[in-house]
Amino acid sequence: MTKPVIGFAGMTHLGLNSAVASAERGFDVICFDPDATRIGALNAGELPVVEPDLPDMFARRRAQLTFTTDPGMLKACDVIYVAPDVPTDDKGTSDLGPIRGLIDRVGEAMAPAAILVILSQVPPGFTRGLRRSLATRYYQVETLIFGRAIERAMYPERFIVGCADPAVPLPPSLATYLAAFECPILPMRYESAELCKISINMVLVAQVTCANTIAELCENIGADYGEIVPALRLDRRIGAYAYISPGMGISGGNLERDLATFNNFGDALGTSTGVVRAWQHNSGYRRNWALRTLHTAVLCHATDPVIAVLGLAYKENTDSVKNSPAVALIEALLPFSIQAYDPVVAPRAQWHPALTASADPIAACAGADVVLIMTPWPEFRTIDIGSLAKSLRGKVVIDPYGMLDRRAALAAGLEYHKLGVS
Amino acid sequence: MLAHQNAHPEKPARVVVLGAGGVLGKPLLARLKADGVVALGVGSADIDLQAADASDKLQRLLKADDAVVFLSALTPDKGRDVATLMKNLRMAEAVASAVSSVKCRHVIYMSSDAVYPFGNGTVDETTPADPLDLYGVMHKAREVIMMSAVQADALAILRCTLVCAADDTHNSYGPNRFRRQAARDGKITLGGEGKETRDHVFADDVAELIRLVLVHRSAGLLNAVSGRSHSFAEVARLVAATFVPPAEVSFSGGGGAVTHRHFDVTALHQAFPNFHFQSLEAVVAEVHRRGEGRSDG
Repeated sequence: MTKPVIGFAGMTHLGLNSAVASAERGFDVICFDPDATRIGALNAGELPVVEPDLPDMFARRRAQLTFTTDPGMLKACDVIYVAPDVPTDDKGTSDLGPIRGLIDRVGEAMAPAAILVILSQVPPGFTRGLRRSLATRYYQVETLIFGRAIERAMYPERFIVGCADPAVPLPPSLATYLAAFECPILPMRYESAELCKISINMVLVAQVTCANTIAELCENIGADYGEIVPALRLDRRIGAYAYISPGMGISGGNLERDLATFNNFGDALGTSTGVVRAWQHNSGYRRNWALRTLHTAVLCHATDPVIAVLGLAYKENTDSVKNSPAVALIEALLPFSIQAYDPVVAPRAQWHPALTASADPIAACAGADVVLIMTPWPEFRTIDIGSLAKSLRGKVVIDPYGMLDRRAALAAGLEYHKLGVS
Repeated sequence: MLAHQNAHPEKPARVVVLGAGGVLGKPLLARLKADGVVALGVGSADIDLQAADASDKLQRLLKADDAVVFLSALTPDKGRDVATLMKNLRMAEAVASAVSSVKCRHVIYMSSDAVYPFGNGTVDETTPADPLDLYGVMHKAREVIMMSAVQADALAILRCTLVCAADDTHNSYGPNRFRRQAARDGKITLGGEGKETRDHVFADDVAELIRLVLVHRSAGLLNAVSGRSHSFAEVARLVAATFVPPAEVSFSGGGGAVTHRHFDVTALHQAFPNFHFQSLEAVVAEVHRRGEGRSDG
């Protein structure tokens, strides 16, 4: 078969990165979004999200990418992915209204024989419930990671494809497209694939929760979790890529959404969800590790302290602040002055009335009693500890992810706090 | 878990403290007086909350713009039986009826960490209440009684852990009893090996916390706990060291299952970022200082 033309509907994080990666794999891609402002920006070369490698790849493949607000242009596509980011509320519940509306618009515009693939996160039962021929309707699991979206889109471990009947071969256009990525393809029934997406995230959350639970005991028992991790990774049953680095709870929105979806189904169908609720509780508890450490180390004895916060994004290499531990921390420090720095996220007045933006990490620390390094941005590893110590008024460094060298910090006379270390 | 109804602190029109003569009532009234807050202390001699006419008397006393702090309770030293439970519930019935009729602007109910079971690891405000004894059952029942009588945005429930105070008469196991033992006998004897851990708070600090809840007109649930737990052996040694010469600490051995209690105080930090409970070391020293020269053993 000749190379199929690929369509993507919904030009938010998932759709844009997937479209650009498809172009990099050699396909012509038509990108539709009803938002004229978003399409206008993309046509002007302005990217709405921060992702490593995205700007270069976007520029390199610009000629293969068509951005349009006209759904009629999707008629030229053989395979169309519907891939908007599905919004969630504070409890992780998805709002499926926008994706349903987008599917309807795409369905009206696409060629009758074209294949429709739902790529967004949807709950089990969603794809089968659509009003469309089963023969041209598919669901595909996305495994986007914020900050690694291009890498994940270019080199997936496998494709998980939800089908009406997994015994029936995939249509040639979809099979040709997926084959270009040179990874295993796992067809399964719609509901299995939709639950597979949730299953992946649940296993990741279980690993993270386990790591955080062990790390906290390490903090109180004289151990260093950092010394334990390599031993875990060398265990074949755990593995080199396991999610076992300690952190401050799950954030970003997607994992939270899957846990909420699982609980909703479990409650409705009467299956056990107690362990999932324990993961959620532990996540909330660990999110406030920095706040508790700050109170113990500084706030319980300091008068009118100045607090420096480095990093606002929920993780490195992204501008997302959804459920960001840094933002949660700042919102719990209303009586105090805060000086913040993040490479891409600007401080927002809605978080805190006395939150000032600083030009760089050392400037943020000027005159501060304590600095908290809340996002593991790579550039924070290069902070000169001597300059940091001179800039601070106090001596306390709260560095959950260990961006600074602990021994160097202690040698500089700093009081150093890190996740998982006594 | 607390939501502040006042964006900025604001003194209540009047605070009515039920249980004015108790271990928390006295420091609370003193704290409110120092802050210039109009406060009325009501003790059992003023209104017997177990009496049939208690609700009527209380209704005549209360005003709609009052903030009511409900501290009155028969503590375990007065009895751990069903009869004591029922007396405590009758008191709550009277208070609930009165504040509901008058529609008081703000109500604080002082509950207890006895509503929580042991063995759940770190306790926070989301930990399910599953009391182990009638005292815990009493507080949980009184919480629900107050919730049925007061709008959610006008009711604060504080679950207080073990209170340490110079003039505490409850003589419950912990620093107060240890101090009396040391003063009387020159030694402190602990059951078992003293390994069990508990959280302890100073009565004056709890009074300050209540004041903060009042001026913010906070609603919801908060544990009144320090977040620092100590074994009874540590507590005994701290208390013993305040005496000259230091009191002897001995262990009776044996004992039942060892239980621990630790609290996550994130919700307290979030509600009142400037408030901190004093360390147990400071509390024990202060209680000893206040108790010096007094013979209450």
